[in-house]
Amino acid sequence: MGWTNFKRNRYISIGTTGVMVLVLVLFSGLMAVNFLSSQVVVNLQEKVDVSAYFKADISEEEILSVKSELESLNNVKKVEYVSAGQALDEFKERHAGDAVIQDSLAELDFNPLQASLNIKADDPSQFASIVQFLEANKFRSVIDKINFYENEKVIGRLQSISGGIQNWGFIITMVLAVIAVLVTFNTIRLTIYNQRQEIEIMKLVGGSSWHIKAPYLIEGGLYGAFAAAVTAVIFYPALFFISPKVAALMPGVSLMSYFLSNMFQFLFLVFSVGVLLGVVSSFVAIRRFLKV
Amino acid sequence: MIELKNVSTIYDDTLMALRGINLKIGQGEFVSLVGPSGAGKSTLLRLLTRELTPQEGEVILDSVDLATLSSGEIPVLRRKIGTVYQDFKLLSNKNAFENVAFALEVCGVDEDQVQDDVPKVLNIVGLSDKINSFPHQMSGGEKQRLAIARALIHRPRIILADEPTGNLDLVNTYDVVKLLMKINELGTTVILATHNREVVNAIGKRVVTMEKGKIVRDQSENGKYVL
Repeated sequence: MGWTNFKRNRYISIGTTGVMVLVLVLFSGLMAVNFLSSQVVVNLQEKVDVSAYFKADISEEEILSVKSELESLNNVKKVEYVSAGQALDEFKERHAGDAVIQDSLAELDFNPLQASLNIKADDPSQFASIVQFLEANKFRSVIDKINFYENEKVIGRLQSISGGIQNWGFIITMVLAVIAVLVTFNTIRLTIYNQRQEIEIMKLVGGSSWHIKAPYLIEGGLYGAFAAAVTAVIFYPALFFISPKVAALMPGVSLMSYFLSNMFQFLFLVFSVGVLLGVVSSFVAIRRFLKV
Repeated sequence: MIELKNVSTIYDDTLMALRGINLKIGQGEFVSLVGPSGAGKSTLLRLLTRELTPQEGEVILDSVDLATLSSGEIPVLRRKIGTVYQDFKLLSNKNAFENVAFALEVCGVDEDQVQDDVPKVLNIVGLSDKINSFPHQMSGGEKQRLAIARALIHRPRIILADEPTGNLDLVNTYDVVKLLMKINELGTTVILATHNREVVNAIGKRVVTMEKGKIVRDQSENGKYVL
């Protein structure tokens, strides 16, 4: 009977499905935006690290033991050891075209650079505690300096930006989701309002409320399922066009491959959201008309 | 089987639709409920189907106080009672068969029984040849007979008819009343609310007269419409 209703009220069905398609496309778009903003944050976070420079007379074994202690901390993501020799090679390479620097390096008969540990944290907010750990008495004698204080401002800024992106993204998603639910709910309510006489009569001839409700819940679910299918048909071709443009702006980020590799999860999510939205809207809407 | 004990309803604070109604109706009776518009006839019928609950007093059907029914029991009550309305309340996008069938379907009756019962009941009301007609293709009397067929499909023990002849001409009115009397003869209790004097006088059975929410007269035999 849900299917019969869906067919008989063809125009209303198309309208309701259309509104739900808009909602679901919006929802998919928000998922894409969330993915992009998280990629931006991850990229930025990858670039932030803290380096601890060791005094020249400290042996490699001692440095490696500090490294393994750092690695045992659970908020440390990665520790990379750069020996004095490696640092010099990198320095030379970076300034290969600069004759003055090359000449002055050649004048020196010792390596002026220090061995260091590059530390990456799970989250930039944890650098402070990592630095505290390094500054404890145990390590004070071996570490010359920590560049955290130079980086502190940058790290702080990054934290507030990434926090901002995520918070605002979340707020906007929630606001749009609420609007979407209200629009869907109202559209389905109008659809059911058109059939209020039918519902009233069903009640009066002794229909149990489950038998009256079920067709409308199925109808709502059908709107959601159709809307999800249409959304997928719109969304993937749109990605195909947008993805290269995004990749041009943000190298290494591919929307297309992200949504293709997660296609099953994505379709499942859109489908469930659509069906749930339809069924819940129908459920709430029909309650009003069942009070006979 | 039906008993109203000191029943009062209040629509809003100032207006009382029913005031202290006491009424007993036995199984198999034919009761004409008469009185001018606004006397409370429809309100009384709606109490019996639990569309309304009284503010005071009890409405008792088969020794059960209807106010105590849970929302799940109300549909069961309504299947024991067939209801016929002045405006028919037929579904315009369903044909005669479907209009009767869906009253069974919403109760979860299986398809075989629907196919079996609906033509039988349409035959009882004399609409066998209109089985595929839509309401707009039928006359007023046919629509009302279709509504009666729908009311009968659950084999109810009570039929409530609220001004069933209000929209009908003389000939159709006569048909519908005759049908109600035939149903009554088969053992079903019929309560007919009407303000049609000729109808009431022609039936000549128990007549309960209401005015301004009260029962002013109860003639148990060969009643007449008196105002």
